Amino acid sequence: MAMTRAQFRENGNLICDGYLLKDLAVGGVQWLERNKEQVNQLNVFPVPDGDTGTNMLLTMRGAFGQIADIEEPHVGRLSKAFADGALRHARGNSGVILSQIWAGVARALDGHELLDASSVADACVSAVDWAYRAVEKPVEGTILTVSRDIKDAVVQKTEKQHDLVSILKTMVFAGRSSLRRTPDMLPLLKKAGVVDSGGQGLVFILEGMLRALCGKDISLVDVAVPILGQQAETWQEALVPEDEEGYGYDVQFLMHGRDMDVAKVRTDINAMGWSTLVVGDSNLIKVHVHVHNPAEPLNYAISSGADIDDVVVENMHRQYEQYVQARADREGDVLTETEGVGVITVATGKGMKRLFAQELGAAYVITGGQTMNPSTGDFLAAIDKIPNNDIILLPNNKNVLLSARQAAEQEQHKQVRVVPSATVPQGIAAMFEYVNAANMEPPATLDDTTEMMTETLSQVVTGEITRATRDVEIDGLEVRAGQFIGLIDDVLKVAGNDLTQVARDLLRMADASRFERVTLYYGEGIGESDARAMVAILADSFPDLEFEVISGGQPLYPYIISIE
Amino acid sequence: MAFKNIRIITDSTCDIPADLLEQHKIGVAPCFINYGGNSYADDGVQLTREQYYKDLRHIRPVPKTSAFPPGIAEQLLDEAFQEAEHVVILCVPAKLSGVYNAFRLGASNFPSEKVTLIDSGQVAMALGWQVLIAAETAEATGDVAQVLDAIKRVRANQRLYAALDTLEYLMHSGRVGWASASIGALLQIKPILDVQDGEVKQYARVRTFKRAFEALVDLAHQQAPLDRLGILHTDNEQGAQDLREALKDIVPENTLILNITPTIGTHIGPGGLGIATVSQSWKA
Repeated sequence: MAMTRAQFRENGNLICDGYLLKDLAVGGVQWLERNKEQVNQLNVFPVPDGDTGTNMLLTMRGAFGQIADIEEPHVGRLSKAFADGALRHARGNSGVILSQIWAGVARALDGHELLDASSVADACVSAVDWAYRAVEKPVEGTILTVSRDIKDAVVQKTEKQHDLVSILKTMVFAGRSSLRRTPDMLPLLKKAGVVDSGGQGLVFILEGMLRALCGKDISLVDVAVPILGQQAETWQEALVPEDEEGYGYDVQFLMHGRDMDVAKVRTDINAMGWSTLVVGDSNLIKVHVHVHNPAEPLNYAISSGADIDDVVVENMHRQYEQYVQARADREGDVLTETEGVGVITVATGKGMKRLFAQELGAAYVITGGQTMNPSTGDFLAAIDKIPNNDIILLPNNKNVLLSARQAAEQEQHKQVRVVPSATVPQGIAAMFEYVNAANMEPPATLDDTTEMMTETLSQVVTGEITRATRDVEIDGLEVRAGQFIGLIDDVLKVAGNDLTQVARDLLRMADASRFERVTLYYGEGIGESDARAMVAILADSFPDLEFEVISGGQPLYPYIISIE
Repeated sequence: MAFKNIRIITDSTCDIPADLLEQHKIGVAPCFINYGGNSYADDGVQLTREQYYKDLRHIRPVPKTSAFPPGIAEQLLDEAFQEAEHVVILCVPAKLSGVYNAFRLGASNFPSEKVTLIDSGQVAMALGWQVLIAAETAEATGDVAQVLDAIKRVRANQRLYAALDTLEYLMHSGRVGWASASIGALLQIKPILDVQDGEVKQYARVRTFKRAFEALVDLAHQQAPLDRLGILHTDNEQGAQDLREALKDIVPENTLILNITPTIGTHIGPGGLGIATVSQSWKA
């Protein structure tokens, strides 16, 4: 009879069988899957290739694949199957270490029909032992440290407490707190302004298991990213490879054979490269090594007489370059020192960012918007980064509003308010009022400033021109893919093949003649002379309007138009 | 104490209409406006306001303004002392202009106990209200101390706000630091100025004149009940009439609508709108 959560509770939360353990494994995999990008973002050690989350997830999925189709009430046998799957599908440094953690767990649980407090403690001790042994030269401030701190906490906790929910909670809390200490142990993390990615992955897995055990819905809840507050000024420098030849290749394969000597293989492989992980037994060995010449370890394995399998060779230097580029794109964020109330806003495009930061005095501009929605974590990180204690979040996009609201709710130490700007022109109008509030004597309070800024949002009408990505018919308006479309306050109003015609129709639909001023923020690919030529034509149709042309540099939208 | 014949002298930035100047025998030293190689006295004769503001939109570089020579101040004092026993000079702030210094030099040949030179801290009709109330008080009391006290109380209860259609003229004037620093700013703004104690401050920056207009209406109401109100404009008669209409619940009877003097208008630019208020509380 399979144990459900209800039966688990009837047993005083003291014992768990294979069925329930499988549910927990599902929770761990799903939670990691949901948060894998966050883990990728943290990845700077040992190679900043941004794939730790992906590798750990592939490892976990492979492990789960081994138990997905079996009904196994026996905890020991289930763990063994899971660990075998992990070993077979382990990817990357963290994946291999993770597979060793499960191998250690499986070894400790061997023969156990049910899981209880003391077997959890034994499993942790064994897991940490295996994890440390998997690495030639253990480095502190990594998943190893996090796993050891979790083990220490569990061993202490289980001396008095036998409730499995409490024990799993202890694991999560110990993991999180250990994670926060990783930058103090590993200077590279501190320089790069992150916590250890592998450790974070492990914490996500345990959190998922805890959520499963408590019956929480895994798929909907969001969590904050624990990126550290103090942003490294020179994370790029911190990540430059020490080796002149670059980061080299990541080589992984399985060796099938008989009477193989794991210790000897480990020594030999280690001589060829670095970040060596060689684990397994006399019949099956998983090799992971970083080398400049991928042929060397492969030749070694083949000439040793073993069959090789699951060969993966990755060019880490290229991954590193891609990671740096991706992070640089994200880190186009702009921090400006401001006093009093500070505004954190969201913009994309050089001109837009400059406008918000330099002209309008935003304390922090997060790169993003329609195509790249900043997360709650991005807002929390920005809140942490600016010195201001009174903060207003200005999302400038309705898809970003929710993250901003959540960040405002989650922030513990600073006063945070949200001015719900849905468009960039609304954000600019609000920033004008922010400047006025800040220049008052004495400067307006946080709440007054929020109110003043919020009041301005309704005073501006936003027009946006972009291209349709597919054929569509909305309210009788037929649009073909590739045509220009015009939106007024986020509602599709006009379409056509001629940009100027669409702009003119859009101004008409917005009843622009009732207003005073039209500002065109021209985007990527549009020159100032293009914009001015268009304004000259528009001015003929709207002689009483004042027109203004500003370089926005935003992608995808040739024009963002403010009508006020 | 004997009733004294006291005269008031001011400069042409004060905006007081000619009939009132005549009525109160107020002496006015004209400032000068310089462009196109010529220098024009701001006396309402050499430059008419209507024509000047039409031209101002096109004259480049933007005209400059300058104080009068001390000789003009001396001449005015001479004329005043034909009848007066004491002269009070009220002028545009020394922080903004050389007028104060020209008066100081011009007055140096007169006995100092007979001349009181006051930096009004104000411009345009805000200076004008100090001058008019000083003249009224002088006529009523003949007492220098009471005149000076009235000026002090008016000053504490008056406000001057101006909404500019463009920041361009103030940027080029060079007399207001923050405005000069705005050169190169990307976005056009309509600044609302707040003049106090010789400082031209930025009360707010808005994007549209409609918002600036609403702000002026709010600001005027904050000063109510009003004893005096000047509605000022630079070639924006319609705006001034609209503003009067929007303030009809608080406008005092003697409200003046003034197309302001070119000396100030040069720094404001055409299309501006402003209010110079004196709250009733000045009398208390």
